[in-house]
Amino acid sequence: MVSTQNTDKHTTGRRRSLKAGDRRFALMILIPAMTAFLIMVFYPFMDAMSMAFYQFTIYDLEPIFIGFSNFQSILTNPYVLESWVTTAIFVVGTTALTMCVGLAWALLMYQNFFGRSVFRTLTLLPWILPSTVSAFIWAWMLNGKYGIVNALLLGSGVVDENIQFLSDDLGAMMAIILTRTWISIPLFMSFFLAGLQGLDFQQIEAARLDGASNWVVVRRIILPHLRPVFLVTAALGMIGNLQQFDIIYALTGGGPIRSTTVLSIEVYTQAFQNWDLGMASAIGVLWVFTLMPLVVYYLRSLFKED
Amino acid sequence: MFELRSWQARLGFGCLLLLIAFFLFFPVYWALISAFKGNSELYQLNPTLFPGEIHFGHFITALTEGNLLLQLKNSLLTSTSSALLNAALASLAGYSFAKFEYPGKKSLMLLILSAQMFPFGVLLISIYPMLQTADLLDTKLGLTISYIVFALPVSTYMMYSYFKQLPNELIEAAKVDGASNFRIFYRIVLPISFPAFITVTLYAFMWSWNDLLYSMTLITSETNRTVGPGLLLQYINENNADWGGAMAASFIAASPVILVFALLQKQFIGGVTSGAVK
Repeated sequence: MVSTQNTDKHTTGRRRSLKAGDRRFALMILIPAMTAFLIMVFYPFMDAMSMAFYQFTIYDLEPIFIGFSNFQSILTNPYVLESWVTTAIFVVGTTALTMCVGLAWALLMYQNFFGRSVFRTLTLLPWILPSTVSAFIWAWMLNGKYGIVNALLLGSGVVDENIQFLSDDLGAMMAIILTRTWISIPLFMSFFLAGLQGLDFQQIEAARLDGASNWVVVRRIILPHLRPVFLVTAALGMIGNLQQFDIIYALTGGGPIRSTTVLSIEVYTQAFQNWDLGMASAIGVLWVFTLMPLVVYYLRSLFKED
Repeated sequence: MFELRSWQARLGFGCLLLLIAFFLFFPVYWALISAFKGNSELYQLNPTLFPGEIHFGHFITALTEGNLLLQLKNSLLTSTSSALLNAALASLAGYSFAKFEYPGKKSLMLLILSAQMFPFGVLLISIYPMLQTADLLDTKLGLTISYIVFALPVSTYMMYSYFKQLPNELIEAAKVDGASNFRIFYRIVLPISFPAFITVTLYAFMWSWNDLLYSMTLITSETNRTVGPGLLLQYINENNADWGGAMAASFIAASPVILVFALLQKQFIGGVTSGAVK
């Protein structure tokens, strides 16, 4: 390796100018991403946040400042609070189900068995389908008349008559949770598989010698080892599910009535169907505050080691 | 990891494997065979697990009626260009964050990453009038630029963490040889970071490729429409539901990306996870 420890005057001067040059270069290559970020992400965000204090509907030519009125109507409007609860049910249900199935699948895919790589590759499939396609597939599976799920449930005697998944409150919620879980498993599996990389095999060997069963190994060694990954994955999963729009819109459109109208659907409806941008932004503020603690937690865990 | 010597252990392992595999893969199988069924077989109360008669009608209709191929072209064009643009921006910014010191660096990084708490739906409220003012509403360019929103923050972080673990000696040595920063970046750093670059491109591509919200809102004309909203508008709506057609069109629409992923999947599983979870 070339030694750079040279203390003669000339080199020191040169190094100082190099440093200034480095800094200039660093800022120069930061500008494109920063510009894109400020224009497309940061400005729209601030703009939408301030819009929450204005009345701006399709009937208003200019936004009219109205202070906290939008927030007052949110607090008195049962619909918005209802969609917050709907969001919570969807997010918790989906994240919990995805974590369980994703973890189980990652453990299975970690085991060496014949055909494992085929399974692993195929697992990516739900993820690379466009949202509309995944929604189509599940809408067809869960179809109230010709759906295979109903045929299987009916055939095995679990139910007496077809479940109208997409036109029933509970059924629609189950449908969006199931579909979203299906789509998320590939990513969660990948996260857990990455987490399993650092597993200490000697510890497992030692436990085996003590006569530990598979179940004990999972509970005493693997789960504690995965704890950090588990928490970050849960935070990431909840952030993603809180943002989810596509699947719900394509499957149920927020219905029947309002039973699957989560915050994303509510904001979209207010903004792009009722064209009430002020109200949409105010609900957006509620949405941001719901996301904030999760994002803060995620970022802290990301920067902890730096 | 698991010991599967006893038959009970093997049975438990096998059952769990089959159960989850069924959940993951059966829907795809079911959609595929539904696309090959004729309508009389499709709409019967006792569904058949294998088509009695292979029927290509839905595929032919999907290709000849409607604009599926145009929509597919639009989707691939906007998603690919947006993903490449995103990867280029993210590599530059990631390199700046990873290998240089300057005041305010950490705050800028935090600012970019905190964008994860800005809901995409909320950003759209302002992006829509912005594009309108810039005359970019209902254009592929406008959609391409807007797609940046999805992946730029995390992509920047992914590139940052990749560059961070490159040895500094590599850059120092080139510097001693008199290479400029720019030259070092595109002759040395970028070539060895190609896997990360591809991973980030794929990551960003998936976001836009999967998107429905932005493409549905920002595109209004038939000529610029992408696959997601296109399928939704054509096949399943209040008036009709053509399930066979929907399944066939879905598979045609998904096939190019399935192909690409089959080739690049190794790159992907490792890459995405190394960025997001440590």
